[in-house]
Formats: sequence, C-alpha cells, structure tokens
Amino acid sequence: MNELIPLMVIVPLMAALLISAFSRFNKVTKIFAFVVAICLPIIPIASNYGLHYFGGYEPMLDNVTNVMFHPAITYSFSFPQQIFIAMIGLLTFLVVFIYLTKYKEVSGPYLFLLFLGTAAVTAMLLTDDIFHMFVFFEILALAQVGIVAASSIDYSYEMALKYMILGSIGSPIMLLGIGFLLALTGSVNVTDIAAAVHNGLVDMTSPVFLLSLGLIFFGWLYASGLPPFHTIKSGIYSKAEPHGAALLQSFTVISMISIVLIMFRIYSSLPIFEVLVVFFSILAMILGVSLALTQTDFRRMIGFLAVGELGFIGLGIGLGTQYAITAGLFQALNEIIITALLFIGFGAIVNATNEVDTRKLGGLLAYHPKVSIMLLIGGLAMAGVPPLSGFQSKLMLVQASLSCGFPEISILAIMVSIATFVVFVKTFYAMFLRPKPNDLEVEGKEVPRSMIFAMGILLIIIILLGIFPDMVINGISSFVGGML
Amino acid sequence: MKLYDQIFDVVKQFRKLFSPGPVTNADVSGSITAEIFIIVSIVLAAILLRHVSVLLAGLVTLILAIVLISNIPLIPKFKIEQEDSLEKMLFYAIVVLCIIVVFLYWGGNLV
Repeated sequence: MNELIPLMVIVPLMAALLISAFSRFNKVTKIFAFVVAICLPIIPIASNYGLHYFGGYEPMLDNVTNVMFHPAITYSFSFPQQIFIAMIGLLTFLVVFIYLTKYKEVSGPYLFLLFLGTAAVTAMLLTDDIFHMFVFFEILALAQVGIVAASSIDYSYEMALKYMILGSIGSPIMLLGIGFLLALTGSVNVTDIAAAVHNGLVDMTSPVFLLSLGLIFFGWLYASGLPPFHTIKSGIYSKAEPHGAALLQSFTVISMISIVLIMFRIYSSLPIFEVLVVFFSILAMILGVSLALTQTDFRRMIGFLAVGELGFIGLGIGLGTQYAITAGLFQALNEIIITALLFIGFGAIVNATNEVDTRKLGGLLAYHPKVSIMLLIGGLAMAGVPPLSGFQSKLMLVQASLSCGFPEISILAIMVSIATFVVFVKTFYAMFLRPKPNDLEVEGKEVPRSMIFAMGILLIIIILLGIFPDMVINGISSFVGGML
Repeated sequence: MKLYDQIFDVVKQFRKLFSPGPVTNADVSGSITAEIFIIVSIVLAAILLRHVSVLLAGLVTLILAIVLISNIPLIPKFKIEQEDSLEKMLFYAIVVLCIIVVFLYWGGNLV
C-alpha cells in the first residue's frame, strides 16, 4: 500500500489544477472539491508506514565505505507524518466545506490555492530531500500570499505584498544555505547529509557549514513566523478570510516543524543550533503574548497568540531531549487544532456582526451561545487549562525544561500560559459578557451552520486529546527516539 | 514617590496607545499586564545567561531590571516598533541576521 504515500501530495495537487481549469462549471467544481476534501484525511489513515522512492531508485550501498546513498527523492511516512497529514486533511476538508456552503458561486483560483497549500505542506512533511522541501516551501509561500490577497478584507493586498517581499529575502537566503550544504556533502538527501556530518566527513566547525546553518535558520524563521517575522505573520492571519486564516496557521506550524526537524537531524551535534532555537522561541513567546494583550482587533490578537504558541513548539525542539521534542510535536498538533477553532469561531462573530474591534462588541453570549461556549473552551485549551489538549502538551514542556536543568524556562512557559489566559478572559468578557453597546446590530444575523459543525469537530478532538493524550504521544515518542 | 508618579503616568500614556477610539478598563488592565509581563519575562530570560557565566547573568539581570523599570511604559514603544511598516520589518530582519552571525561567530565552535 506504499503507493498511497505519493498520492497524499498528488491528489490535492491534481485537484487544485483541475478545479482551476474547470472552475466555470460551478456545480461540478463544488462536488469535486467536496469529494477530494473528504479523501484528504482518509488517504493517510489508509496508508501503511514506509518509504517511497520516486522513479524506483532504491538506496545504494557503497561497499568501500559501507555507507548507504539515496539517489531518489524519498518520501518517508511514519506515525507523526500520518497524524499531521490526517489533521491537515481534516482541516482542509472543514475549510473547503465552510467555503462551499458560504458562497453560491465558488472561486476556482481560491480553491486552487487551498488545495495547493495542502499539497505543499504534505510534501514538506513527507520529503527526505532538502531541495524538494525548499521547492514546496516556495509553492506554499505563494499559496499563502494568494489566500491572503484573495480575501475581501481591507488592505489584504498590501499585507500579502509585504509578506511576498519579506519572502523574497527569506527564501533565497535559505536556498543559499542549502547550496552550501550541497557543496559540502554532495547530496541533497537529508539522511545522506546527516550521515556525512555525524560520520565526521564534514568539519562541523568549518565556516561554510556554520554559514549554511545560519542561512537555513533565517529561512526557517521566515517560514515559521518567529521574530522578526511575527508581525507580518500575525498580519496575514488577520487579513485572510477566517477559514483561510485557520488553514494558513496550520500551514505555518507544519512548515515550521518539517524544516526544524530536518535542521535538527543535520545540525543537532552543534550546541549553538539548540541555543538559537531556544533563543528565538523565547523571544516569540514574550513578544507574541505581550502584543496580543494590547490588541483591540481580535483577529490580530489571535494572530499574535498563534505566534506566541509557536514559541512553545520551538522550545520543545530546542531542548533536544526525546521527551522535549515529543512535547514540542504534540504542542504543534494541538496548536493546529486549537488555533483553527479560534479563527473559525471568531470568524463566525465577524460574520454575524461585521465588527472586529472588541471595544465595539458586547453581549454576544445571548445571541450566539454555542459559538461563545466553544470559543471559551478553545481559549482555555490554548491557555493550558486541564483537562484539555493544550494542558497536556504544555505540562510536558514544563516538565521537559525542568528535567533539562532550565527552571527559568519552565517559569516563563507558565507565565506565558497565564498571560494567554488573561488575553482570553479580557476578550471573552469584552465580546460576550459585558452589556451590548446600543449601536451594535446583531439581530437576525445567524452564524453559518457549517462553521458550528467545524468548531464542534475540532472541539471533540481537543477534548479527546486532552483526556487520552497517549494515543498520540506514544507514537510520536517512538519516532523521536528513532530520530535521536 | 517618583516611581509611583511614573506608574500613574503610564496609565495616562496608554490612552494614546488605543487612540482613536474609547479606552476601556479591560484595555488598560491588559496593557498593564503586558507591561509587567514583558519586564518580568525579559529579566527571567536573562537569568539563563548563568549557563555562560554566573557573574554575567547577575550583572545583565540587574542592569536589565533597572533599565526596563526606569523606562516604563515599554508597551507603547514596543507596539510602535512592531507595527506593519515594511521598513521596520526589513530593519529587524537585518538585525536578526546580525544576531545569528554573532551567535555563530562566538558560539559556532562549541562542539
């Protein structure tokens, strides 16, 4: 069944192209998009774990050095890939479902961008080839720009353009780093590069090797929206349609973990790599949450919180132990789900009120009780309140940093969680609990049922992962153990 | 007394942060929380320098605490620096590249 592995990329990619080509036929496009979207979470669940070599070029053994070489572009599929791809597939399905039910006439190019982004992050997760990863990273960046530019929110073009300009700095710098690695090792296969580095074929203190780390690291900061790119990342979330923002943040999280895991495999012997990851993760946590506290636009607030949460993921990877990396990846999975729930939920409020300023909102609990309760639980999950999924991953991260001898980081993580809780209490009070302002019109504006359905599905997953975290943690831990 | 006046003045300055538009209690309390959070978290993060040198960590923590507290309110300044201007984003991208170079130059040979 390993033939299903490339299909995880090919299916959304082909769907994107076909939908774009035949978007004139509205009804057919809708049905086709819906069917493909349903297939996306099913394919990774139905597929067996294993490797796929494009072109059928199997690895070759060098009898002199006893080293394996991988001539083909290789896709590696194991438990973390399965769970993340299934989650991205589910999220794509929910987002496409919301989009299809929201508009009578659907836009082929917009659906093209959604499926293209999904194909790109799936390929980034699966690939064992650093250049292949870069190509899909570029495709993903273009899809993200398109999703933001296609929204009908003011200044979305401007924000998309800024993101593209910053990307034109981050991406070539990353490509240069990959070029240096290729020059040093003669390969773009990550397993081959890691073997060359760890077998002493590459001098780890050589300036070229260190420079490649610095350049790829900078590209990673752009991909993941860590400082200095936290402002633009939160900006593009706030300028995209709410369902689009839910998918965009999941793209960011996936590209973050796929690149950092590749970097970890290559550079983990260099202590400075872990120092850099921890430094920028702490910076993201501090800046993200403190700026979220001062926002009055709640979409921007969620954007900054999402950036702050990325710091937790980086922290887990940066600490570098099996337990810490497992916690980081579990946090990544939780963030994808929780932030998507919040973006869709707050999007539902925008849909019902046409207002994004918390100062002009109030009393919405009486009008939209289902949305408000689900948003509250989502907010509590993000803040790390038990027994929700965010609590489990954050507790693991606190324990991991304590066991690594960094109690300061544990205290900081707890402080960030408390500050996140404050953000939610403040926003929830402002939007739902205080008296409704007289000039706010909410009568007769219903929240689309598809949004409530999507929130309900995500909420169930949050509660399930909170109560039964082991169903994910054990598989991730085994994968991380193998990687280390 | 001077510090008390300074803290009281912070609340007044938050008005500018939220203009145009009304300033609610929740916004001001959120900003004060952010102010305290940012000072404490930066000082706390500076303690991590003890893994390099205990003396350095002590000095940096002390200096940071004094500089940050005497410069409140920090949040309006932070917010101005973190706005959506492309020039500022590019400036900080270059600053971060420099930081990475500094890290690798002095820490790259720790194998």
